[in-house]
Amino acid sequence: MMQALIVSNVLLWCLLIALAFAVMGLVRQIGILHGRIAPAGALMLDKGVAVNEPAPKVTAADREGRPVNFGYAGDKGQLLFFLSPTCPICKSLLPAIKSIAKEQAERLEVIYVSDGDPEAQRKLISEFKLEGARYVVGPEVGMTYQIGKLPYAALIDSNGTLRAKGLVNSREHLDSLFEVEHLGSATLQDYLHRDHVHTHSPQQ
Amino acid sequence: MQPDPLFTLTGALCTAVILASAATHKVRAPARFSAQLQAYQLLPTALVRPVARGLPWLELALAFAVLLPVSRAVAALAAAALLALYATAIAINLWRGRQDIDCGCAGPDQRQPIRPLLLIRNALLVGVALLAAWQPETRALGLFDAFVVLAASAVALLIYAAADGLLANSPGLLKLIGR
Repeated sequence: MMQALIVSNVLLWCLLIALAFAVMGLVRQIGILHGRIAPAGALMLDKGVAVNEPAPKVTAADREGRPVNFGYAGDKGQLLFFLSPTCPICKSLLPAIKSIAKEQAERLEVIYVSDGDPEAQRKLISEFKLEGARYVVGPEVGMTYQIGKLPYAALIDSNGTLRAKGLVNSREHLDSLFEVEHLGSATLQDYLHRDHVHTHSPQQ
Repeated sequence: MQPDPLFTLTGALCTAVILASAATHKVRAPARFSAQLQAYQLLPTALVRPVARGLPWLELALAFAVLLPVSRAVAALAAAALLALYATAIAINLWRGRQDIDCGCAGPDQRQPIRPLLLIRNALLVGVALLAAWQPETRALGLFDAFVVLAASAVALLIYAAADGLLANSPGLLKLIGR
C-alpha cells in the first residue's frame, strides 16, 4: 500500500509539472499574440500606379543575375514586397510574408525587392533564410512603382493587373491586400467608403 | 510549531532561484537597471550607479547563502527584507501617483508598469522567503524527500513565472478592450 501511494505521488508530481509547463506555454503564447496585434492603421493612399490597371512592366535582375519580369501576364500572380535591411518593421513582417509564400505557392510568386548595401542584404537573407527566394536588389522596380515608404507590398494578378498595393505595417495590412483583391477595391478604406455610400441608397 | 523540513527546503530553493533570476537580468544590462532605478526617484543621483551595481550581487549572494544550511535562516530573512524593500519602493511611487514607470522586475521582454498587484506578488514572495527562514523540525531525509522538494519547487516556480507572465500581459489586454 505504501508502495502504491509513493508511486501515485511521484506520478502526480510529474503530471503537475507537465501541467505547469502547459500553463506557462499558454501565457507565453498570449504574450506573443499581444505583441502581434498591432492597431490596424490606415493604408496610405498615395499617387503612383493605379489599382485595377495594368501594372507597369519592368525587368530587373535578381541576386543571381537571372532576369525577373514584373507586371507581365504569366501563370502565377506576383506579390512584390519592398523592404530594406535597415527597416525593422520590414524584418518583423518577413515571417508573415514567408508563410504567405508557402501557403499560396501554387498561385502566387513572392518577390522581395530591396535596395542598398549588398553586405546588409546578405546578412538579412541568411538571417531569415531567404536563400531560395527571388530577391531583387536595385532601385529600378521601386522607382517604376513609385515606392516612397517601406515596407510596401503590391499584388499583381496573373494577367498583369495591379490588384492591390499599400504600406504594410502588420500582418493585418498584408491580409487586407488579399481582401481588397477579392473585393476589387483599391484599398479597404475605398471599400468601406463605398459601402457607406450604399447604405444611403435603397438596396434590393 | 515547527514545520516539516520539506516546506523550508522548498521555500529556500524557490527563493534562491527567484533571486538569482532577478539578479542575472540586472547583471546583464547594468545601464538599463540603473535607468530603472533612477526612474524610481528614491535615491540621490550620486548613489544610483553604485546601488545599481551592487544590488544584483547582493541578490546573487543571498540566493547562494539561502541554499547553505548554515546561513539559510539569516539569508532568508535578509531576502524577505530585500523583497519588502522593493515592495516599499513600489508603494512609495504608487502613492506619488507615478504608475507609468517600469517595474524593473524582470528582463526587457517583460516590461510592466508598477501596479498595486505587484505589492501582492511581493508579499507572497516575502512569505516564501519567511517560510525558508523558519527553523524546521529535524528528521532524516531520504531520496523521496529530495524528489518532492525538487518537484514542488519546479511547480511553484513555473506557476510563479506563469503568474508573472499574466501580470505582464494584463496591460496589453486592457489596451485591447479599450480601457
